[in-house]
Amino acid sequence: MSGIPYTAEEALLRMALVAILIVIAALLLRLRRVGIEKEYLYALLKGGAQIFALAIFLTYLFSSPIWYLLIWILLLAMIIVGGRTSARRASGLPRAESVTTPSILAGAVTVITILVLSGAMPLTPQFIIPLSGMVFGNSMTICSLTVERFLREVRLGRERIEAALCLGIPSAMAMEEFGKEAVKAAIIPTLDRLKTLGLIFIPGAMTGLIMAGTDPIVAAEYQMIVYFMITGGGVITSLTAVYLMRKRVFTEAEQLAEWL
Amino acid sequence: MNYIILEGVRKSFGKKEVIRGVNLEVKGGEVLSLVGPSGSGKSTLLKCINRLIEIDSGRILVGGRNIKEMDPVELRREVVLVPQNSVTFPGSVLDNVMMPLRAQGVEDRRRAEKALLEAGLSRELFSRNAEKLSGGEKKRVALARALVLRPKALLLDEPTAGVDPKRVGIIEESILDMVRGRGITVIWVTHDVSQALRVGDRIASMKKGKVIKVGERDRFQWEGVY
Repeated sequence: MSGIPYTAEEALLRMALVAILIVIAALLLRLRRVGIEKEYLYALLKGGAQIFALAIFLTYLFSSPIWYLLIWILLLAMIIVGGRTSARRASGLPRAESVTTPSILAGAVTVITILVLSGAMPLTPQFIIPLSGMVFGNSMTICSLTVERFLREVRLGRERIEAALCLGIPSAMAMEEFGKEAVKAAIIPTLDRLKTLGLIFIPGAMTGLIMAGTDPIVAAEYQMIVYFMITGGGVITSLTAVYLMRKRVFTEAEQLAEWL
Repeated sequence: MNYIILEGVRKSFGKKEVIRGVNLEVKGGEVLSLVGPSGSGKSTLLKCINRLIEIDSGRILVGGRNIKEMDPVELRREVVLVPQNSVTFPGSVLDNVMMPLRAQGVEDRRRAEKALLEAGLSRELFSRNAEKLSGGEKKRVALARALVLRPKALLLDEPTAGVDPKRVGIIEESILDMVRGRGITVIWVTHDVSQALRVGDRIASMKKGKVIKVGERDRFQWEGVY
């Protein structure tokens, strides 16, 4: 096997033929008056334009003699965009990026360091970019889930936290169960996916590798590396976010912050 | 000798000034009824005293020390606030009372049991899930949780709110027995004038963020209080 058995031109033709599905779906949406056909087409066009722009950029980058410099720019962009996107989930938290960016960074840097040191990520742009994207993207999602859940738990549990503080219980202790809940809520969806791996679906990396002609055993091994990355990085990101959030929701005098 | 002193205390939330220059002195070992309509700032004032809320200006002294110079955790073990809503923590009744002790690394089961008995809870309830207790029982658990710390002062925020009216008198009595026997200073917040008269050695009344009158129970002038 040698990957997808046709050229770029042939792939374009196939893509155009498969696009009949869009026409069918859009027609059905219109006939049933669901009212999202415009959004459906817009999302496809936008997503399509983005991945083709990425493909053109990657084609350029893979052949560029300064790819290692461009990769740093790309990684920096991932950190900034990830931190900002995740910060939007921390409703009301002033300077939320100062929690989300370091949390994402803590998870992602640990994972990337281990991937490089173990040799699981060869230092070529073909590996660095997709794997880093996966690591940062996953850390960002976990961070968003953590901060959102944490703030919700604290706001709902305000009475209980204050009752504990009133008994001379230090804030870290009064907060403990809320932090645990936030970490659980962020990590459990990934664990559930992990438990059903191979039973309900073949995960993305494995699918891609098999289609590209990789031996299924090697594809499974690489898929597990991806899951080690996702779960390991996710746990580190989530715990860092809870640690940093805890410092922000309390004042120096062990009071709940007024912005809550 | 005054145990709690408030001097020119002010607190605003956003543009709204909730506490507007409160001066108040509470003698050691006395029960001071703090009475006033809803929204007059009584509960906020209690939270200022145990520093759950930071005041904007003025100062609060506890046992002669400015609370800003005290460790807030230590302050809250000495001056314990019992909030109006009786919150219970996950676990048994006994776990609830052990909790503030465990936070100090103290594993004294007897002390917790004693506090529960003194708060009027029978032994059969000790192993019950605290969240499944009645409103009145939860109030007693909250009191036991405060007493187990052996506080010097108690800040009670409407301690009989939501309790069966027939049992209000019993709870008042048991609180007064517990605090008088130990010389604990109490600020007892209530909106109920008759309760203020029953429990307080002195009465202070609050209106729109200010303490407008303070006086001995028997000579307190009620005009203009509500």
